[in-house]
Amino acid sequence: MRFLGFLTRRIVGIAAVMVGVSIITFAISHIIPADPIAAALGDHATDQQIEAFRSEYHLDRPLPEQYLTYVVGLAHGDLGRSIRTRRPVADDLFDSFPATIELSLAALIVAIVVGIPAGVWSAISRGRLPDHFVRLVSLVGGSIPVFWLGLIVIGLFYYKLGWFPGGGRIDNFVTPPPTRTGLYVLDSLLAGDFEALRSSVLHLVLPALTLGYFSTAVIARMTRSSMLEVLGQDYMRTARAKGLQERLVVLRHGLRNALIPTVTILGLTFGSLLSGAVLTETIFSWPGLGRYATAAAIALDFPAVLGVTLLAAIVYPVANLVVDIAYFWLDPRTQHG
Amino acid sequence: MSIRQSSIFLAIALVLAAACAPAGTPGTSGSPGASPSASAGGAATTLVIDRDTSDLISLDPAVLYEFSAVFATHNVYETLVKFEGTDLTTPKASLATSWDVKDAGTTNDITFKLKSGVKFASGNPLTADDVVYSFQRAIKLNKSPAFLFTDIAGLKPESIKATDPSTVVVSVPKTSSTQTFLIILTFTIGGIVDSKEAKAHEASGDFGSAYLLDHSAGSGPFAVDHWTKNTEVLLKANPNYGGTKPALSAVLFKHVPEPANQQFALEKGDIDIANDLGPEQITALQGKAGVTTTSADSLLLVYVGMNAMVKPLDNVKVREALRTAVDYDGIIKDLLKGNGSKVQGIVPKGLAGYNDSAPFQADVSKAKDLLQQAGQTSVTLDFLVPTGQAPGGAAWSDIAAKLKSDWAKIGVTVNIKQTTTADLLGTYRAQKGQLVMINWGPDYPDPGANVNPFTDYKAKSIAYRNGWDDATIAQKAHDAELTADPAKRVAAYKDIGDYVLHNGPYVVLYQPKELFGLRSNVKGFNWSSIGWAELASVTK
Repeated sequence: MRFLGFLTRRIVGIAAVMVGVSIITFAISHIIPADPIAAALGDHATDQQIEAFRSEYHLDRPLPEQYLTYVVGLAHGDLGRSIRTRRPVADDLFDSFPATIELSLAALIVAIVVGIPAGVWSAISRGRLPDHFVRLVSLVGGSIPVFWLGLIVIGLFYYKLGWFPGGGRIDNFVTPPPTRTGLYVLDSLLAGDFEALRSSVLHLVLPALTLGYFSTAVIARMTRSSMLEVLGQDYMRTARAKGLQERLVVLRHGLRNALIPTVTILGLTFGSLLSGAVLTETIFSWPGLGRYATAAAIALDFPAVLGVTLLAAIVYPVANLVVDIAYFWLDPRTQHG
Repeated sequence: MSIRQSSIFLAIALVLAAACAPAGTPGTSGSPGASPSASAGGAATTLVIDRDTSDLISLDPAVLYEFSAVFATHNVYETLVKFEGTDLTTPKASLATSWDVKDAGTTNDITFKLKSGVKFASGNPLTADDVVYSFQRAIKLNKSPAFLFTDIAGLKPESIKATDPSTVVVSVPKTSSTQTFLIILTFTIGGIVDSKEAKAHEASGDFGSAYLLDHSAGSGPFAVDHWTKNTEVLLKANPNYGGTKPALSAVLFKHVPEPANQQFALEKGDIDIANDLGPEQITALQGKAGVTTTSADSLLLVYVGMNAMVKPLDNVKVREALRTAVDYDGIIKDLLKGNGSKVQGIVPKGLAGYNDSAPFQADVSKAKDLLQQAGQTSVTLDFLVPTGQAPGGAAWSDIAAKLKSDWAKIGVTVNIKQTTTADLLGTYRAQKGQLVMINWGPDYPDPGANVNPFTDYKAKSIAYRNGWDDATIAQKAHDAELTADPAKRVAAYKDIGDYVLHNGPYVVLYQPKELFGLRSNVKGFNWSSIGWAELASVTK
């Protein structure tokens, strides 16, 4: 019951955030002194074309009325029409969001699979060489700009060594798998297309490493410090005293407790991965939401910018909700307290 | 182990499995080779072009008006007349074998005789009905390029008639030029659409435009196979094409917006043509094995507009002084690294009516004299400049700084105000600029497409934005447009060019070039300034 109440409160909260975000984004995008029509139609447009465009996008109406039209559309699942691509924003988001999800998930997997063991390893060998190594690598990861890292990674692993492709989601001459989820790796598995699977996994490696490096570093450092804290606890001494193997002491008693703060970070990390994807997608020609958002912002494509913002406004609280649900599961105290 | 504990470990194991599983598939460790697949027709004869295709909105010839779409669909739809090779002065026969113009009272009627035996990619024969349908369709859809037919050529749906299955008559009102109309016909809007295919895919009176957005119904050497948004457009050879069969089986346009990535992919041999290189990439590619570079004139002009309603720019001598003081050679050599041509008239090189007179080059004493004659010793003006890169590859801000220093030498101080192009256009359109730097490209490859906006105040385009209302020159421009004799027409445009050169409110700085990187085995790639290459004649 406690869980249900919590869930309801969170969902109401998310709805309130959405309304707030839509008003603020709408106001900002319509108040800034820039003309989306000049951006869309260029300097050849005639006065008649400009007028027609203004009325097609309701830009000739008062601001509150424009907002109302937008919200009514929103309630019907209509995010409006993009000024740049002239397509419904919902269609554009539907095309580009899965690419970003795939990339962010891959980066998150890198962060979890590399970051957590590295943090544990570093903590149990505190002050020795492995610890210094992990700390150095995470220090670099926490401070290196994604854009620069991406160029270095492409230059080394694509251009010099030729181990991995330099951009895009799949090879030029490989047919993408039929769309079911929009995630190429998953779709090619579902279709049993190993050619597409191989190609799409290879294409994921460099962008996922680039995007995931920062999060890996954060998670490694977080795991290390909470692990160090846990390792000094009385129950750890008790576990050892009762003759438990060191491996089990560390994994069952140590890591289990040390993971709680790490899970919090994971939720935030997923959000930061989505925003980090803007740069990564640009460098790796990855046709995702980040690149769509960049193109939309440059073109002053307000309906598209609003659509992306609303989508992000859903993703952040949902990611945090998932984290909170994970707490219930990981830490029994939260179920009673 | 409790249930909860085992589920944690299960979850971790699943995550690990998910991360590792794909790595276990065959061939992961190899380099990313291009393996042929049915969809692309194989790597060997597929031409891969990296290009920023973010401008794509539609591949329908009656809707599209974007550079990437023009390039691709020019190779998909045939037109009644066309320019051959890179020449943009004389339309030649294509789907029409001949045409003549007859005076019909209030209109000039052009009768086109169609080539026989032409088939669309669908196998349907191409007839006069398809031509009438295609032109009427463009007018009725009234999308971005429709003004070329309706405003420039003055056509209405009923202006186009089929008199028999191989004859089409188009009645051009005498207020428009038949010469200009023929030139418009060479452009993508003149592409002939398979009316049966379009009608078969019509939905709620859209003339099949939802279908033709990412499909095709043309008779050209290639047909659209697919367009994956934000990713790629694939054209495949049209088996029913009546002309010389293309050597390529397919052409793949990959959306790669970053010039550096295009350069890497070209060097690695993953692509055949890099379409958006800047001077930096061209320099980096010099001397690399297996790669060549080439350049072609664009039809753009980079210029500074001088608002003739603002004092002292209303004085023709002050404007001439500003033009005289600029070091054009320095801009082209140092800032553009030679990536532009010295053109000072309002018609770019490549179009009929181009005037090669370029009399200005950093003459400080003459410029000072002119200012003195105008009674000006020190002048201060606002200078509006866009952000980002100017065509030709130099930063707008660098060109602005160079102009500022050139003008400082004659006692003219400019305050550079940098803003986005959209903002700049807002000010410029409202006649509120003083000095404004921007570029212009013609809507269709005819001198009128530049001369009209640059001279006619009433057209509310460039002359209007610079407050230059000279009714005499506007009339001359209109007369030149309607001159039927091509030689007289060119001569008239050259005369107008000479006048605007010294009296107009423009400092035309240069005509930029476009740069391409090609694999050495790519032959027959000739870029036309209008924005396309005939891919049917390319081999690799």
